[in-house]
Amino acid sequence: MMEEKKPILSVKDLVVNYGAIQALKGVSLDVYPGEIVAVIGANGAGKSTMMNAIMGAVPRASGEILLDSKPLPSKSFQVVKEGISLSPEGRKVFAPLTVLENLDMGAFPISDRSAIEKQKEDVFELFPRLLERKDQYAGTLSGGEQQMLAIGRALMAKPRVLLLDEPSLGLAPIIINEIFKKLTEVNCQLGMTILIVEQNAKKALQLSHRAYVIQTGSILMEGRSADLLHDPEIEKAYLGGKK
Amino acid sequence: METFIQQFINGLSLGSVYALIAVGYSLVYSVLLFSNFAHGGFLVIGGYICYFALRSGGMNIWVASFAALVGAGLSAIIVERLAYRPIRERTPVTLYMLIASMGMSIVIENLFVVTIGGRFRALPPVIPTNPVNFFGIATTSAFDILSLVTAVIFLVGLQLFLVKTKWGLAIRAASYNLKTAGLMGVNVNRLIAIVFFTAGLLAGVGGIFLSVRYTLYPQLGAITTKAFVAAVIGGLGSLPGAVIGSLILGLAEMMTAGFISSQFRDLVVFGILIITLIVRPTGLFGKSVGEKV
Repeated sequence: MMEEKKPILSVKDLVVNYGAIQALKGVSLDVYPGEIVAVIGANGAGKSTMMNAIMGAVPRASGEILLDSKPLPSKSFQVVKEGISLSPEGRKVFAPLTVLENLDMGAFPISDRSAIEKQKEDVFELFPRLLERKDQYAGTLSGGEQQMLAIGRALMAKPRVLLLDEPSLGLAPIIINEIFKKLTEVNCQLGMTILIVEQNAKKALQLSHRAYVIQTGSILMEGRSADLLHDPEIEKAYLGGKK
Repeated sequence: METFIQQFINGLSLGSVYALIAVGYSLVYSVLLFSNFAHGGFLVIGGYICYFALRSGGMNIWVASFAALVGAGLSAIIVERLAYRPIRERTPVTLYMLIASMGMSIVIENLFVVTIGGRFRALPPVIPTNPVNFFGIATTSAFDILSLVTAVIFLVGLQLFLVKTKWGLAIRAASYNLKTAGLMGVNVNRLIAIVFFTAGLLAGVGGIFLSVRYTLYPQLGAITTKAFVAAVIGGLGSLPGAVIGSLILGLAEMMTAGFISSQFRDLVVFGILIITLIVRPTGLFGKSVGEKV
């Protein structure tokens, strides 16, 4: 059903080099409106590099990134304006700023004050814990709360596609469950399109509709998440299946 | 006791001018993580613009000061655009920018030597320097009070800009993590231009007052060493630290001059620096805590 529509975000033959090392060797993927797409793979497979390349935070050597079939600009601030926000790996909340100020930073491209306040209310409704801590410095929050703040901050810009880089990193399983449940809510209730990269393959496959498997800079496999979850090869390589 | 109060006011006055310079220095450091040794150049540029606007342009002090501040701010943007931006777009190593800043400092100084000569120039007497009786307890000069008040106004203005405005918030975010600020939709090049303009403008204010205090010459920018010491004492990158460090330095200098000997001033200044570096290497307000993972 998703496949009939045109992709909202499309990455074509993306190549990224770090000096002499090729981090991405021609990655292609499509994200359709309203779906959650996961990219799973081991540490160093190129997942974060891909996210940063989409955001314009690392230069791309070749390849195309299209939003609504139009080429995405190459500078980060233009990408955010076009409607793509990232919750970065390791959360990267602004520790010396308060929760409210962090959210204001997320809304930087928006100039309409009332739209920002409205967006803040939506974020607080999604993460009531942030409302309780709104005047606290972000650096004093727990890891889970910081992750919520990073996601909320990315939502503040009213993105058309939300990018999530390793939202489960360093969090306790119970907190991971809580955050992934919220992500389902963001997708279902706000109709947010989400592209997520994760080392926690099982969680990511349970959350997403479709998924890509990335290995040393190339896409190895793609398919419906439910199918991949039961693929014996995936199970063995990424889900800790015994045998 | 009268000497003490007098030197106390003079110390605050000198310290507050250092603070204007140190704060700009620290602001640039907090965002780009390098010590901009060309900062003194902005101060000299501000001083000369004010001088020529008064001397040759025949402008009044308000217009001349305004031209000096804007000119110093713009020159800071130009230096960043010419010398630092090409480097930071190629490499994350900030040491190269530090080296480039030393180069720019020499370039600016010698541009003045070559074009208008190295002689000492006194600003026309438009800023009052007459002695003022301070509530009957001490005598100080109008100039000292004026520079203290002006510095406080500009520092408060800077604080309001950083706390109340959108770009101020972005600068505070960028001083924690520039790259992440870029991911929030902030045009990083514009942010850095704003930071340099602000730093240059504040240096320009300092430049005008220092030109009155010490006369104007191309090497006047070397006084930035004091502001640099103040910023290190306060903790590089911390704005409150830069202000406190500057006041400590200004007071120490004036107290030394008043009670020991004027010749010991620099000895005391660098003595304080050395003690700070031994006892508290990050400075009084320096960042030492990493981010929580």
